[in-house]
Amino acid sequence: MIFIAIIVGCILGAIIGGVAPIIPYSYSGYLAIAIIAALDSVFGGMVATIKKNFDIMVFVSGFFGNAILSILLTYLGQKLNVDIYLATIFVFVSRMFNNLAMLRRYYLEKITNRKAKKTQNT
Amino acid sequence: MKKKQVWITLGLMCLILTMCIAIQIRTIGSTNSTVSQTLTDDSLRDEVLMWKERYDNALEELENSEKELTQIREEATQDNSDYISKEEQIRENNMLLGLTDVTGSGIIITLRDNSNVTADSLSALDSIDYYLVHDMDLRTIVNELKNAGAEAISINDQRIVQTTSITCEGVIIQVNGETVGSPFTIKAIGSTELLYGSLTRPGGYIEALENTGVIVEVKKADKIDINKFSGVINAQYMKTVQ
Repeated sequence: MIFIAIIVGCILGAIIGGVAPIIPYSYSGYLAIAIIAALDSVFGGMVATIKKNFDIMVFVSGFFGNAILSILLTYLGQKLNVDIYLATIFVFVSRMFNNLAMLRRYYLEKITNRKAKKTQNT
Repeated sequence: MKKKQVWITLGLMCLILTMCIAIQIRTIGSTNSTVSQTLTDDSLRDEVLMWKERYDNALEELENSEKELTQIREEATQDNSDYISKEEQIRENNMLLGLTDVTGSGIIITLRDNSNVTADSLSALDSIDYYLVHDMDLRTIVNELKNAGAEAISINDQRIVQTTSITCEGVIIQVNGETVGSPFTIKAIGSTELLYGSLTRPGGYIEALENTGVIVEVKKADKIDINKFSGVINAQYMKTVQ
């Protein structure tokens, strides 16, 4: 059931995004950072799910909080003439890779366990 | 109930995320040309800054070498009266050409765009042109100053020399190729009384300017410092006749 909600949300979002007005180019950098932050939150949420400590409030606050914080940092960096957004991207992407590695290991273990069980059964 | 809430939140978040991604992709896609343009813009800007820095460095070097040159010249001519007179000649010629800082008595004219006038307060027959300082005004005043015997003139610290041009570049005025803007401070060294009297004479250009609406201020001064010409005067084609 949960996947239905996610898929419906994704499809609706793609449709709305397809017809929504585009934003000025100078703001697209901020939106890109926000997207990276949100994606990071999504992967974090997936890892939390497999670790069985998923909390919807933590997830939602991380999703929006990280996005807003990264936008603010990017803005501050532009004002100070420091490319802070690079640091933001670095942190988020490295965390994404960590989370992806965890997911990969989890599913690999699952598959190998299943295979081992099968061989045991036969 | 709680599960339903979770689904709705997750669905909403996915909606926002995909929406943002779609908008971003479309923004980038529609402004693809802008990306490359800004990139070239950036590199061009960097190049301009680099050249400007180089120019400044070169100018500084030139000034240093000039100082060194005068020092060496002084040292070399210390004991020889013939050389000393030559040295003085060079100095005087440089002064006449506008290549040295000079000081003396004269007048200071300040021209200012009339900021009390707005487009609304103008009548139909009036024009905002009358209330602004134009390149022509500067040229006329410089001409009158020269006519009245001014020996050194500068507009906003741009020295008027033989190669000086005063041109209109749209919303700004360029003197010696450098941008100047309102208020314009015209300094002139010469006979104070003569300059003041001839410039502010009834029916003169200053009075005409004041009447049309430009804010003009003419001041006598005992000590005016006028900077030297900061550019380079080239003599590429002309030669002295033998």
